Amino acid sequence: MLSRVADSLFWMSRYIERVDGILRMLKINYASSQDNTSEFGWKPVLNTFSFLEAPKVDKIEMDSWSVLQFMVVDKDNPNSVVNMVTRSRENARSVQDHITKEVWQCLNEFYHLVRDERLSWSLKNEDPITTLDALIRQAMLYYGTTEVTMSRGEGMCFMSIGRYLERAIQATDILKVKFKDISTDAEKMNDPSYWKYFLMSISGYELYLKNYRSGFEAKNILDQVIFNISFPRSVHYSVYQAQRYFDRLKNERNRDSFDKVNFMIGKLRSNIKFSNVESIIQEGIPSYLDKIHFELFSVGNALNQHYFAYS
Amino acid sequence: MNSFSIFEGYPISPNTWDEMYAEGNVRSPYQGIYEFLQAIPLEELNRKEELAKRLFMSQGITFTVYSSGEGIEKIFPFDIIPRIVTAAEWNSIETGIKQRLKALNLFLRDIYHDQFIIKDGVVPADLIYSCPHYIREMQGVNVPYDIYVHIAGIDLIRDNDGTFYILEDNLRTPSGVSYMIENREITKRIFPDLIPQNNVRPVTQYPNILHKNLAALSPRKISNPTVVLLTPGMYNSAYFEHTTLARLMGVELVEGRDLLVDNHCVFMKTTNGLQQVDVIYRRVDDDYLDPLVFNPASELGVSGILSAYRKGNVAIVNAIGNGVADDKAIYVYVPEMIRYYLNEEPLLKNVPTFQLKNKDESKHVLSNIHKMVVKKTNGSGGYGMLMGHAATDEEIADYTKEILKDPRQFIAQPVISLSSAPCYINGKMQPRRLDLRPFALCGPSGIEIVPGGLTRVALKKGSLVVNSSQGGGSKDTWVLSV
Repeated sequence: MLSRVADSLFWMSRYIERVDGILRMLKINYASSQDNTSEFGWKPVLNTFSFLEAPKVDKIEMDSWSVLQFMVVDKDNPNSVVNMVTRSRENARSVQDHITKEVWQCLNEFYHLVRDERLSWSLKNEDPITTLDALIRQAMLYYGTTEVTMSRGEGMCFMSIGRYLERAIQATDILKVKFKDISTDAEKMNDPSYWKYFLMSISGYELYLKNYRSGFEAKNILDQVIFNISFPRSVHYSVYQAQRYFDRLKNERNRDSFDKVNFMIGKLRSNIKFSNVESIIQEGIPSYLDKIHFELFSVGNALNQHYFAYS
Repeated sequence: MNSFSIFEGYPISPNTWDEMYAEGNVRSPYQGIYEFLQAIPLEELNRKEELAKRLFMSQGITFTVYSSGEGIEKIFPFDIIPRIVTAAEWNSIETGIKQRLKALNLFLRDIYHDQFIIKDGVVPADLIYSCPHYIREMQGVNVPYDIYVHIAGIDLIRDNDGTFYILEDNLRTPSGVSYMIENREITKRIFPDLIPQNNVRPVTQYPNILHKNLAALSPRKISNPTVVLLTPGMYNSAYFEHTTLARLMGVELVEGRDLLVDNHCVFMKTTNGLQQVDVIYRRVDDDYLDPLVFNPASELGVSGILSAYRKGNVAIVNAIGNGVADDKAIYVYVPEMIRYYLNEEPLLKNVPTFQLKNKDESKHVLSNIHKMVVKKTNGSGGYGMLMGHAATDEEIADYTKEILKDPRQFIAQPVISLSSAPCYINGKMQPRRLDLRPFALCGPSGIEIVPGGLTRVALKKGSLVVNSSQGGGSKDTWVLSV
């Protein structure tokens, strides 16, 4: 496979994963904002998913409608849904001979959907949840279509690595923001709706209820979001999947590159495998999350250097 | 029958061959589609037109126009009413094109080797050497099977008596074949059953034939040679076609930056290191192919690719330097070439053409300029043309100045009216002018022409220019088997 093609497939997939994460986050936070007696702030979302400067965040963080416009349809926000879907589709466009016609058509339709002026209108004038659901459904269609139609070759491996790497990065990002949040506002620690909405936004609420009977506790949340291998949005699950797909890339011709990246993924995986909630609380939650975050980025960089470099 | 006919008041231009009507009666090949269209309610036809647009859009059969940093998706306008070519017409087109292509290939081989045709005084030497597309670096280079033109898109038009004429030989990187394939797919969706009922020959085999021909050219005699399609990239207006062909042939779509030349061999950069490339179907023009030899500023090409080609380590399709054979000044000599190389009479006629470098012809053209179409010899895409019957005096004066500066660069042809066919425009059937571009594939086992082609239509009322850049669209082209 061409390095350029591998690169494009990796990013095509990463952007959709990020779009999916953002859309879920927006949906649940909007719902939460309707369910709050105290003032609801969008600061954590804006800080996790955009590069907006602090004064601008302060300006719009209390205004759900402005935040939705900014995060979904604002073309000047590099991390808006419209821009990321566009980038994903541009990547897909340049590798149409490596994805199925169905996948291409799905992303192409997603692209036309997010650029439609009616979207911005309905986001402003109608129930935003309906609008966000329509977008989430299009992302789900992408996952289903790739799952059902894509051949299980190298291309699918790079797409999956991109997806799970992005998912792990998102999970650590969100945890970082959430735990920073409670360190400044201790009351939130004991606020059940704070944790409920957080778990819902990463589709982990039902699982949590089944596993932990003692109500919401920070250490249980950490346990689920970092370590629970059966939770599809946990850091451990994502890293495990990324490693699994990466293993399939091993062959005789690329041993050097493989070994270098394999070492980094293996180290990261062990790092998670041989930690637990107690050890990270002892180490300090922020510093542990920073370390994982750094290692995830290093894997991305190593892939870039050893597999995608073509110029 | 319906009380209202969408064909009511269908105005046939005088002195024009209409594909559907002959003296007020529907021609027999069009009878089937005519009856179908008579029976269908107008709203349904509108819905079908809408569906066609939506299909093009959602499948991404589009080209992107970039303005103010933002891409806008455009579709190449498609008229839903098919254009029909009868079995007999197709037969004469097919044999005529095969004959012409055979001669053109011999001509290119001759020009880049012994040049007998110049020595025998059939084609003047100055015409060859003054052609900007004559590539000196190709002199004496042997190409596989002596085939220069592997893919030709030869444009045909019809005069008012229905005779087919060759308008242009496109022998470099002819485009439009994906529309031949996709237009047919759209027709299948919007007019179920109509294609089998009318005995329309299929066109889907095109990518398979092309791939077979490409693989056969591999310099390394291995069972699974690496064939790639070289595209200028996604900002090219024909990018959709490049991706479609790559996908349908199952070959890698590469850009210049994916390739490198090492020790006179071409390699592509893959996730598993370098992989040797055997055959390149390039959609990049000669000028941009190799910055070491041609345009040094080009980033679309590959440094050193020409040397690999000259060594015979990689096959390039179409061959480099073909432009010398489809130059509009050389076009005049194609009938002579056919006589010279094949000792046959040309089966398909040229449009009468005047060369402005000849004094008496130039005089004739300039005094009859209102009846002429003047073109640049190396132009394409409908740019830089003068349509004498429609131009203002000022335009003519300006253009004449251009001509007199360098008459070699211009030819003139009498205005040919082009045949018309019904198009569905604004809820009515209206006649519009069209041409036909069949795609001929030349491989080691001979020349094959898929029964079909790109029918381009001038959607502007009264226009004679079918190029997409000038408001043209396309139709599905049906070649009938009986």
